[in-house]
Amino acid sequence: MPTEVIMPKVDMDMSHGKIAVWHAAEGEKVEKSAPLFDIETDKAAMEVESPAAGYLHHTAPAGSDVAIGHAVAWIYAEGEAVEDPPGGKTPEASPAGDAPAPNGHASALAAPDAAQAEPSAPPANGVRATPAARRLAGLKGIDIAAVDGTGPRGRVQKRDVEAAEAHRAKAPEPEAPHHSASTRRAPLPARNVDAAAQPIVLVHGFAADAAGWAPLERRLGKGASVSRIELPGHGRTAAAKIAGFADLLAYVRERFDALELADAHLVGHSLGGALAIALADQRPDAVAALTLIAPAGLGAEIDGAVLAGIARASRAESLAPWLKRLVANDDLISWNYVQAAALARSDPALREAQQQMVDALFPDGVQSFDVRDALRRLDCKTRIIWGRRDAIIPWRHALEAPGRVSLNLFEDVGHLPHVEAPEAIAALMMT
Amino acid sequence: MPDSVDGNAPFAIRQYSADELKAALRKMYLIRKFEEGAEESYTRGLIHGTMHLSIGQEASAVGACMPLTDHDKITSTHRGHGHCVAKGADVEKMFAEFFGKETGYCRGRGGSMHIADVAKGNLGANGIVGGDIPIAVGSALAAKRLGSGAVTVCFFGDGANNEGAFHEALNMAAVWKLPVVFVCENNKYGMSTSTARSTAVKSIAERAASYSMPGLSVDGNDFSAVAEAVDTAVARARAGEGPSLVESVTYRWRGHSKSDRNRYRTKEEIAEWMDKDPIKRMAEMLLAHKILSADAVAELEAEADREIAAAIEAAKAGPDPEAGDLTRDVYTELAA
Amino acid sequence: MNMMAPTAEVEGELRELSYAEAIREALDIALGEDERVILMGEDIGVYGGAFQVTGDLVHKYGEERVIDTPISELGGAGVSVGAAMCGLKPIFEFQFSDFAALAMEQIVNQAAKVRFMLGGAVSVPLVMRFPAGSGTGAAAQHSQSLEAWLGHVPGLKVVQPSTPADAKGLLLAALDDPDPVMIFEHKLLYKMKGEVPAGRYTTPIGVAAVRREGTDLTIVATSIMVHKALAAAEELAKDGIDVEVVDLRTVRPMDRDTVLASVRKTGRLLCVYEGVKTLGVGAEVSAMVAESDAFDYLDAPIVRLGGAECPIPYNPELEKAAVPQVPDILRAARQLVKAEV
Repeated sequence: MPTEVIMPKVDMDMSHGKIAVWHAAEGEKVEKSAPLFDIETDKAAMEVESPAAGYLHHTAPAGSDVAIGHAVAWIYAEGEAVEDPPGGKTPEASPAGDAPAPNGHASALAAPDAAQAEPSAPPANGVRATPAARRLAGLKGIDIAAVDGTGPRGRVQKRDVEAAEAHRAKAPEPEAPHHSASTRRAPLPARNVDAAAQPIVLVHGFAADAAGWAPLERRLGKGASVSRIELPGHGRTAAAKIAGFADLLAYVRERFDALELADAHLVGHSLGGALAIALADQRPDAVAALTLIAPAGLGAEIDGAVLAGIARASRAESLAPWLKRLVANDDLISWNYVQAAALARSDPALREAQQQMVDALFPDGVQSFDVRDALRRLDCKTRIIWGRRDAIIPWRHALEAPGRVSLNLFEDVGHLPHVEAPEAIAALMMT
Repeated sequence: MPDSVDGNAPFAIRQYSADELKAALRKMYLIRKFEEGAEESYTRGLIHGTMHLSIGQEASAVGACMPLTDHDKITSTHRGHGHCVAKGADVEKMFAEFFGKETGYCRGRGGSMHIADVAKGNLGANGIVGGDIPIAVGSALAAKRLGSGAVTVCFFGDGANNEGAFHEALNMAAVWKLPVVFVCENNKYGMSTSTARSTAVKSIAERAASYSMPGLSVDGNDFSAVAEAVDTAVARARAGEGPSLVESVTYRWRGHSKSDRNRYRTKEEIAEWMDKDPIKRMAEMLLAHKILSADAVAELEAEADREIAAAIEAAKAGPDPEAGDLTRDVYTELAA
Repeated sequence: MNMMAPTAEVEGELRELSYAEAIREALDIALGEDERVILMGEDIGVYGGAFQVTGDLVHKYGEERVIDTPISELGGAGVSVGAAMCGLKPIFEFQFSDFAALAMEQIVNQAAKVRFMLGGAVSVPLVMRFPAGSGTGAAAQHSQSLEAWLGHVPGLKVVQPSTPADAKGLLLAALDDPDPVMIFEHKLLYKMKGEVPAGRYTTPIGVAAVRREGTDLTIVATSIMVHKALAAAEELAKDGIDVEVVDLRTVRPMDRDTVLASVRKTGRLLCVYEGVKTLGVGAEVSAMVAESDAFDYLDAPIVRLGGAECPIPYNPELEKAAVPQVPDILRAARQLVKAEV
């Protein structure tokens, strides 16, 4: 019999609690007393520990409002068969529904009863989805806007709704969703919590990782509330097969949504910059400012040899020449740095995932995605920072930005301004 | 043929009984009054669309149908009201069709240009110039193949003689020796273009030579001349000797259609042809040969007037088609 | 079950016949059973027809019933219309479907409309046969697929048999039909062999055939494209893509039920037809699905593969490129199933 994980009462007059973040993913192994999820009440945020060791299943989605005492997940012992939740009641069957999820991202909160009463609800506007996906979502009471699309340009396919349904109602197939179940679902937690400061979310570029932001973060000061989203197959985040830009965006969006931020300052570098633009376009209410550092997605050109070379490199010797191409002054790339970078890339699965990502996103050394339209649509405060000696993506792509975007070009800087000139970047971000 | 008729009398007088001749004149009046009634109805807004009047061509229509029985077929043209009446149609059903009524010959689907009376052998008027000529040949092919003995008279105008269909169809009719009579009503104008400007041969009857069939041009306003020429051709067809071409030279008093402003011909020309009124000439012939008295002629005309007036009133009262039946008769409804 | 075989209710002994032989057998049955049936066309008598479809029927039934017409498509077509109106059951052969252009007046303005114009007073029980399609090196004026032209005309029925059995069954069904039926026969199919039941049977007009059942993708194809679609389906099956192939068989009236049921099942639609893609049969199939409840089952945009936007060229490679081929179907099917479109 699996162990029930309930929404605990942690406050006197609390009737419901909202799941802010899961610290373990559906299907992931958890240890007893390890942080399992964060709850958020009117007054406080609190971490809930795992009541048992085992495998986490039937999780209520992050953002759900759950009545106290009701199950939010079940923990199954090793080898225990995962079936329907005991008692037949799925965790999300008891949402209060009185607190709309932020940003209109209702996830699975749409009350199933209401949806069943109107199986052919009109299609959600502004969502790219096939008729079959809309129909199935309507029948299942799933908010199509909350389903990650894996079709062309992020179109929601029927299979995506099926995946969302499987995720919601049953134990998900570990391989069925396009990101692996062992992936951490929450972003790396915010380091310096200060609710007063504008929350900053960092999205790194291809072949980098969350640790790469360290020089910039140091300059942002202790008061900054910084979260980092790590791309799949990078850093400590497990590899996942990425079908294309939309797929990757859906992954990042899910993590961003889990932060439940309003007025975030989104910072993206290179590929992360393109993702930040697209994310800001889709979550206009959650993003107040955008800093784009040598962003991808504004033109076709990119140095494909560098991307492929880094993705392939299994040793420091083969990695070093490519890393030096990233910066204007290659003294920055010390041998120690290269060795540390190579160590971080020692997992063959990571390298394979990155090679696959190069193929999916930059086929034939071309940027296959284009976020120029999204950038033109944005109306949040936006700044583009670029090094004039960027050898990876031509800085002239910055000229694609509309006039209201601030543009800061650095003379003797390459593709890594946040590493090469972190002080200046931090200063710009604070203005 | 009445015994008292002398050998020099016109063909019609020699060929037809007094009753037949009286009926022929009555039909000519009926055509004239029908078209005048249609014109009048048109001006009162009872008729949708346009129509093509054959006033002045009555001898051609009635004369050509004289040798035919209900078993024989005709195909007709957009200027076909006369052919239709001549072949025995009911004028009330014709008016009903003009008024778009469910009680019309085509149940309101065809209008003036497509009136047919299949029971009387009228396969229908055709809106396409020359469109009916191959169909008439097909009708004749069927008659020959089925051994029905029916002859098909194919009416068309001078305009059709320059259509490919005319030449293709006449050729086939001749090659296959089919029982068909081509009656070209040459009223001198294809809409506005005169035969002098459109047709290489002087007489359309000359076209017959190309297809090795008899070709004869007659005064189309002379009932007897038309009847004689077509009678000869029908006899030839019935005997299995093949087709003939009869050119019936006539004139339409009215314009091509209701929108014609008569810019291509003179008032004098029209007046000249009105003097050759075929009905007047037919009446005079019957008077001269003492077939009818003047009073009897007047009574025939008055009778036609009354019949047309009654037909218009009755037709107006007919039911309109149901919109729900819009697509009926596109295909044959098959019993499930 | 052999999905290309005739429908189950047909009881005649099965023989291997070519498509042309099957048509000839149908003509033979028709001529033999009803004196009112006549054949008309250019060089269909002692010559046996440009594609040897009528063969030696003239020797069996005589020149009075197997009638060589002059090269007069308009007139000949019109004669067949008039004959049909007056008690015969003509079967008119166009030497090439392209020559329909010469006879459009009689087909469109007369045959199709007479019944309606006359308020139902007459019927036109006429069958017209149109050898159609490319692949013979006959270039632009002898290779077209014009079924959509005639399919656009109320009053006509338009069929495109893809198998010998259907070629026979649809011809006899057309003969039994009181209205004009236009049969588009693909020239490249004339020599194709298939099982054909002996004796008289009809293949219903307006009923499509599911030639291969599948779950991932519906290919609605016509005429020779049915065979290309089936070849593609076998190839796709190796990749685990399970294709349903619907042989439309009748262009007008279209079998809505079969097409929609298939699309509801598979959620994906690929239309493959040889006629020019724009405003073609596939456009109608697509619109029919898009306008129906089956739309809600679509998990990808509808894709059409049709003839190129040019006349059929002479050069053999260009000629192939001008109409859908198996690799085109494979590519489109894979893109559809992988949600790349």
